[in-house]
Amino acid sequence: MNIAEFFFLLVLLLSVAGAVISALAPAQWTGRILAICGTSAATALLIAAAIILAGHESIRVDLWRLPVRGMLRLRVDSVSAFFMLALGISFLPAYWFSDGYMRRYLAHYDPRSFNIFFHLLLAACALVLAAGDVISFLLAWRIMSGLATFPITLEHRQDENRRASYLFLAMNEAGIIISTVGLLWMVALAGGHTGFNALHGSLRHISPAARWAIFLIVFFGFSVKAGLIPLSSWLPQAHPVAPANMSAIMSGCLLNFGIYGIVRFDAIILPPISAGPGLVVLVVGALSALIGILYATIDNDMKKMLAHSSIENLGIIAANVGMGMVFTAYHLPVLAAIAYVVAMYHMINHSAYKTLLFIAAGAIDQQTGTRDMNQLGGLLKRMPMLAALFLVGALAIAALPPLNGFVSEWLTLQTILRSEEFTSHFSRVVFALCGAGLALTAALAVTCFVKAFAMSFLGPAHSEKASRALEPAKSARISMAILALACILLGIGPTWVIPTINRAMKPLAANLAANALVPPFFSHPHGNKDFSPGFMHDFAHIGAGIGRNIIPARGLVVLHQGGKSNPVVYAMSTFYMVGVLALIIFTTWLFVRWGTRRRTITISEPWAGGLRRLAPDMTYSATGFSNPVRVIFRSIFGPAIREDSSTAVAGHFRTAISKQRDDGYIVDRLFLRPLTATVNYAAKLLAKIHKPGMVNAYAAWVLAVLLVILVINRLL
Amino acid sequence: MFGWFLRGAGSRVKTTRYPPEFDSNVGISPGRPIATQFASSQEADNAAVQCPTQAITAHDNMADINVSRCVHCMACSHGEAAMKWQNDYDWATLSGAGASTTTRPFKKSLHIRLVDSGSCDAVIQEIKQLAKPYYNMHKLGFFITPTPRHADVLMVAGPVTSHMRLALKKTYDAMPGPKWVLAVGNCAISGCVFAPSFMAAGTVSSVIPVDVQVPGCPPPPLAILHGLLVLTGRAQEAPPHVTTTIAEVPL
Ligand code: SF4
Repeated sequence: MNIAEFFFLLVLLLSVAGAVISALAPAQWTGRILAICGTSAATALLIAAAIILAGHESIRVDLWRLPVRGMLRLRVDSVSAFFMLALGISFLPAYWFSDGYMRRYLAHYDPRSFNIFFHLLLAACALVLAAGDVISFLLAWRIMSGLATFPITLEHRQDENRRASYLFLAMNEAGIIISTVGLLWMVALAGGHTGFNALHGSLRHISPAARWAIFLIVFFGFSVKAGLIPLSSWLPQAHPVAPANMSAIMSGCLLNFGIYGIVRFDAIILPPISAGPGLVVLVVGALSALIGILYATIDNDMKKMLAHSSIENLGIIAANVGMGMVFTAYHLPVLAAIAYVVAMYHMINHSAYKTLLFIAAGAIDQQTGTRDMNQLGGLLKRMPMLAALFLVGALAIAALPPLNGFVSEWLTLQTILRSEEFTSHFSRVVFALCGAGLALTAALAVTCFVKAFAMSFLGPAHSEKASRALEPAKSARISMAILALACILLGIGPTWVIPTINRAMKPLAANLAANALVPPFFSHPHGNKDFSPGFMHDFAHIGAGIGRNIIPARGLVVLHQGGKSNPVVYAMSTFYMVGVLALIIFTTWLFVRWGTRRRTITISEPWAGGLRRLAPDMTYSATGFSNPVRVIFRSIFGPAIREDSSTAVAGHFRTAISKQRDDGYIVDRLFLRPLTATVNYAAKLLAKIHKPGMVNAYAAWVLAVLLVILVINRLL
Repeated sequence: MFGWFLRGAGSRVKTTRYPPEFDSNVGISPGRPIATQFASSQEADNAAVQCPTQAITAHDNMADINVSRCVHCMACSHGEAAMKWQNDYDWATLSGAGASTTTRPFKKSLHIRLVDSGSCDAVIQEIKQLAKPYYNMHKLGFFITPTPRHADVLMVAGPVTSHMRLALKKTYDAMPGPKWVLAVGNCAISGCVFAPSFMAAGTVSSVIPVDVQVPGCPPPPLAILHGLLVLTGRAQEAPPHVTTTIAEVPL
């Protein structure tokens, strides 16, 4: 057993130990147990992942041989290890946060069962990533998916929660069934091999039609988990009802498993040979991003907003994966490598800031008793620390430099512009449209999080509780601080992160992305084959090489080279940006101070049109802030005004009519409801067969079905 | 299609030439009576009696006039005991002690916040005319702004009803310094026929300090413009023989 295997075993043992202790210990201890056992398990996971990513060791364990389908294997390669890193980044703070957070449930619920499942979830997640063959992957996936259902229903006495968790369970079950079909078909085509490496080798020569079919089945199966359109309707239902630490996990790492499935099976094991599959993924991703951010912008429930924003981010990740698949199909390995690396970069960014924001939302919920932005406001003065940490997360997710979201979104948009390399006009047009969609997404993300921050933290308090809120427990602040630090570091150090991710994504990216994006020309200023001396001289001249002797990286600038028809180099350095920003802010502050040194400052009350008293309800509300978006994209939101006059007197004279606005989720409206209606209709037709009491008719139907099966069997 | 354009271009400049030239167009100002000397004290008494708002007071054979009560009803402009009538509009005055004209950077341009503190809307109608092409206050650098935070001058009309008293005070407080106040119309200066009463304070200066007063009921647009020019030090205030008798009614 090597060190990585030891730490991996430690993860499993600690998780199980946590579950056992939670079952035995009194309910008051649940938060503490999560904080201690869970955090140490997550730390062990991070260590194992780091060891594997450093390239020293890997995990190769054969568990036991199944009677029919070969060996159950654990294989952790660098791709899995990278996903484990994202897992740890999300789980560690979520566990730590539970310490103070679980107390709020003690009065009404017994959180011990929650604890057991929450502990086991980490082990199950780790096992999914460690699975080295299809059968153990499916087993682990099943366990993981099942375990994830229970923590959502901690507050099981509320109807809404039970409904949401049933929806979660049903949709994920459907996803599992679909992807199981796809994976088993793969195994069948590969002649019974189940190991991932063996599958990759033996699936090389299958027919294009089978490729397409398997791709579609596997992609849509996993896109349920990833929360991509049109299978995303469980996300905005399940996230708000789950406890905040569970929602953080759901967004920060469970969604990543969908991406893992797509990357593992659609990109690594069955790499695309035509552009079609990649374009499908790209379009689905771009649509998810746009729809996700639109709904996030108009939603006033903080957790629901974050859930919609998760759809957006997963959409961006999927779009990058799709781009990688298209570039692979067009034999552009460097661009493919860049796209995959950017996808992974965005994924780890999302894990960091979304966990942070969910923890913040949970803390706000705990301290004020509401998640409705219209009821919050003025929290900046009451909880400055939380506000600062939330701001870091919001800036990061809104992709503002120099934070991490900026780097990955910048690279996404730069990469999508490289479609000029294609010969196919169709692909170019699709790329251009998706690029426009993603650009709009990026712009709306800023609106969305300006609203989230401004309406919750600025202005007057809109409710009694919000005006008396206090800073959350220390555990919440520490866990958020860890994540904020991760956001900042991932933001200012892309030149460290990109080579690391590139190493992790070796099966897909060789070493191409790191060489293209962070070329070693700063470390080797002379004699670099990719860049002419003149170019390098110019670049060094404008300060790109500053600090190259002291900083152990390949330089501090990320470059994105244009193609042959557009030989431009786009360069970006968040590291320098921090310096420049600090300088600008400091000098501006200095100038303002100098210019206003003789001014006297008078502080008067806010101008409210001369009103006697400014009630908080009269101020700008979150609904009002997002209303322009609601109006512009009315056709997408498809609002329905419901009128309720049930309180009318005597049927004729109405005393009260309540009007309610119903923004039906577009996916439900266009996809899920028609689907369920069709299924119901079909079921009704089938029910007609069941004429009550006609036993011989039943027997006839059974015989007919048997015959059909026999015929099919004969033909195949 | 471009007829309107050609018509407009052909009609040349219509804007008043008031500063610096005197505008003597018909109807540009209702005019107002000035203090008049009569042959006998009897005649002066007759002159005083005919005024419905008690703007005229008689002592001996002199009929004096309180311009901040005159509503330009013209009852005293004709007949036996007719007052002397003056058809100008340079009526604005600085309002005594503490009043100041604008300082250096505010000579050329001002932003004005208007508060209607319970007026009958006559003054507001006249102020509205200022933005129209004929009076064109913008060419002189005066602009109306919706928020007191951007305003240099507070223009107040109306007798400060008790409902508007707090709003007026708050608006004044919301303005950043340096700031000036222009009381427009007789109601704002003295309350005229409305105040003091149970519902109105009567004078703006009882709530906030006033710098320039523009008497008139309502003052014609050019008189208001004159008030702004007096405030910026670009015009002389009204000659003293008319102003001596502007008096505030004690509360
Ligand atoms: S015009 Fe009318 S209000 Fe003015 S002084 Fe003469 S009578 Fe009095």
